[in-house]
Amino acid sequence: MSGGLYTQLLDLACGAFLLAAVIVLWMRELASIVRVFALQGIALAAIAVLLGAHEERWDLIAVGIGIGALRAGVLPYLMRRALAALTQDRRRYADGGAETRETQPLVNVAASLLTASLLTLLAYAVARPLTALHPTPATHALPVGLAVVLIGFFVLVTRRRALAQVVGFLLLDNGITATAFLATSGVPLIVELGVSFDVLLAVLVLQILTTRMREAFGTTDIDDLRELHD
Amino acid sequence: MSVIPAALATATAMAGAGAVAGFVLPYRLRVPVVGVLTAGVGAAGGTAGLAATGGSRWAAGLPGLLPLAGAHVAVDALAGLFMAVAGAVVVAVAVYGIGYAAGHGSHGLGSRTAQAVLPPFALTLVLVPVAASVSTFLVLWELMALASLLLVLAEHRERASVRQAGVWYAVMTHLGLVLLLAGLALFAAKAGGETFAALRAGAPTVSPTVRGLVFVLVGLAFTSKAGAVPLHAWLPRAHPEAPSPVSALMSAAMVNLGVYGIVRTGIDLLGGGPAWWWLGLMAVGGASAVYGILQAAMASDLKRLLAYSTSENMGLVLIGVGASGLFTAYGNRPLAALALAAALLHVVNHAAFKALLFCAAGSVLRATGLLDLDRLGGLRSRMPATAGLFALAALGAVALPPGNGFISEWLLLQSLIHGLQVPGVAVAVVLPLSVALIALSAGIAAAAFVKALGVGFFARPRSDEAASAREASPLMIAGMGLLAAACVALALVPGLLGDGLDRAVSAVGLPGTGAVSGGGVRVRLADISASLSPLWVVAALAAALMVAAGLPRLYGRRRRRANARLWDCGGGAPTPRMAYTATSFAEPLQRVFDDVLAPEQDLNVTPVRESAYLVERVRFQRRVPDRIEHRLYEPVLRGLAGAGQAARRLAGGSVHLYLGYGFVGLVVLLLALAVGW
Repeated sequence: MSGGLYTQLLDLACGAFLLAAVIVLWMRELASIVRVFALQGIALAAIAVLLGAHEERWDLIAVGIGIGALRAGVLPYLMRRALAALTQDRRRYADGGAETRETQPLVNVAASLLTASLLTLLAYAVARPLTALHPTPATHALPVGLAVVLIGFFVLVTRRRALAQVVGFLLLDNGITATAFLATSGVPLIVELGVSFDVLLAVLVLQILTTRMREAFGTTDIDDLRELHD
Repeated sequence: MSVIPAALATATAMAGAGAVAGFVLPYRLRVPVVGVLTAGVGAAGGTAGLAATGGSRWAAGLPGLLPLAGAHVAVDALAGLFMAVAGAVVVAVAVYGIGYAAGHGSHGLGSRTAQAVLPPFALTLVLVPVAASVSTFLVLWELMALASLLLVLAEHRERASVRQAGVWYAVMTHLGLVLLLAGLALFAAKAGGETFAALRAGAPTVSPTVRGLVFVLVGLAFTSKAGAVPLHAWLPRAHPEAPSPVSALMSAAMVNLGVYGIVRTGIDLLGGGPAWWWLGLMAVGGASAVYGILQAAMASDLKRLLAYSTSENMGLVLIGVGASGLFTAYGNRPLAALALAAALLHVVNHAAFKALLFCAAGSVLRATGLLDLDRLGGLRSRMPATAGLFALAALGAVALPPGNGFISEWLLLQSLIHGLQVPGVAVAVVLPLSVALIALSAGIAAAAFVKALGVGFFARPRSDEAASAREASPLMIAGMGLLAAACVALALVPGLLGDGLDRAVSAVGLPGTGAVSGGGVRVRLADISASLSPLWVVAALAAALMVAAGLPRLYGRRRRRANARLWDCGGGAPTPRMAYTATSFAEPLQRVFDDVLAPEQDLNVTPVRESAYLVERVRFQRRVPDRIEHRLYEPVLRGLAGAGQAARRLAGGSVHLYLGYGFVGLVVLLLALAVGW
């Protein structure tokens, strides 16, 4: 693969990766959010595979394919299952889709998008000295990973629905993974395997928690959980 | 091979064996075995110290002992002096402690924990001066603090107040550790090395501001350990609540290490400093001396009185150290050496009489279960040996001839009085003031110890416990006898210490003065035309006493003596309750210092029902609170508690809020990084 094509493809993948995170902020319907998250998983896999192809390391390509399978396949599937249970409820109780929509985030959508742009700027500002250390196409894309970390954290802080929270957490993790790939040009297989397994377990646990929450309180709005204090 | 490493290795091995024995052995065997091993630790450590004051030196690096930096040890004459003092105190107190803990059940000092911790505590007392790098010093310092804390807590099952004292002690000693860590780490970073040799070499390159900051930080930590105001609050709490042998060890050996720390870092490692350092130190010392002895004069708990007296004596020592630094700053090195020698001699003297006083107080506690002077009395006839030993030590504590404290205070006063030849306004103001403070504290000390001895041991017993007191066990008396012998030797022939003291002073780079050398009989000052012969002073005093006591007897023999009942004003025979108590004895003094002490009074008059004029009961209560604690500590504690209460509102329960804290923290950090670049 020629250098120019590699750079363009990598930039494209990173752009898609960041755009997916921003779209998650924009969407209200949880089903669409999960779909966008799956797309982001594909973009992340593409970044890993591109890096692997550029450096001709087959283990990196394998890691990329694994990441794609997990983040574009397994995790969205799990979330969709949790969503399906909620959708059944909607049919049963006709509650106007309050459970499957992020109707009232703590910060409204317009302000969220504005904040996302500011966070991206901050990520670029912070990553400047890192990029300057060793300027390659991969490190130039490093701020994208940081920006997704920050946007994921922002989703965690501002979204009410438990499922949206799960997506926020996964965005955060996607961002960390992307940063790791871009900064070190490849994470050892064993590390990535451990992280992925961790994420999978976290999602499984959160899925069960979501179901339980709905059963116990009739809602998945985590703002209703206020017992956790001194 | 030098004797020092061998002695130190022996001490360490014995402390290890003692700790194991304390854990493993059954109660009956535990106390004597641990006692003997602890005495061994003291003897070995003291031997090493004596060898060092005798002129031998030793230094070594033990790279495997501590991670990263390795341990560095070195012994010079200054360290040797403190080791010898600690070792001697440990030996005597260990002997006393066997008698104290034996036969009183496997709780308190006889418990497994206390007996297992006692030998390591003794070891750290000896080893702290050996440390020759910051990390080694801090590790040993912290081990000493932890071991002493466990020992203070030994009787926590018997009294709830022990736990409170333990908390105070733990918090304050660790605040001290934090200050020490900050100061020494800063010093090591700026000097480019953490061994004392590197610090010594790097100190001149460190900027004056940093040096001043280091001195203030470590000075606060060390004066707190020495029990000087304003960070003294742990001392009058921990000393009375600890078992008496532990109080003796803490008060006679541990607080000395605060002085050692200041001399080591301030004069030796930092290489002296500007006058304001030493003026500050003298101010702290002067305040401690007067305030400590005032509180001691007011206290009616015997051990509390002794604890405050420790604060006073450490204040005097700090005045001496401060004067030494001040004279060095103004370039008068012989006087500086004299002041430091006086301070070090006072450390030795104080260790001897204060250990004996605490041991005697412990004997009283064992015999009567009481420490309240108001309820003691009449112990002289029931416990003659203890009373005699207490009187001997009290004589040392009041700094009057022929007590041992007199010589060091005399030296200190000589150095201060002759310091007036040093030019400078600050000196001209501070030195006379210090002399006045020392004189004032000596006067109040006399009142305090007359009270302790007179009210506690003379007169008639004021409670059944005091009336049925029994003399302490032979081992306790033997331990106290060792200390008494040390007191007498220091009072009569302080010159035996002379060369060692000289070497200790010259170890920090000051010229030796030969202040107390000269065959052990005379104390003469080379640069100042003053001399003193303690032996002659004692002989003259003894002769005067004999004349004063003998003449009336000779004269009175010619007259007929008539024995009759004391006139009681027709009110019946006087009861012991009518005699002077500690409180009533201190009352005039309290009136004089009313503004300083600010006592709190409570008067409750309950009239008989249906009549406002007939009184059924009057209840009068008076407390003399520690005013510094009142004014300085309580606002801080209230502020902390208020901040803690306010901080609870930060945790409202919303998950979003908690996540938001993390997010905002991260963004602020990143912003700081981005702007910082």
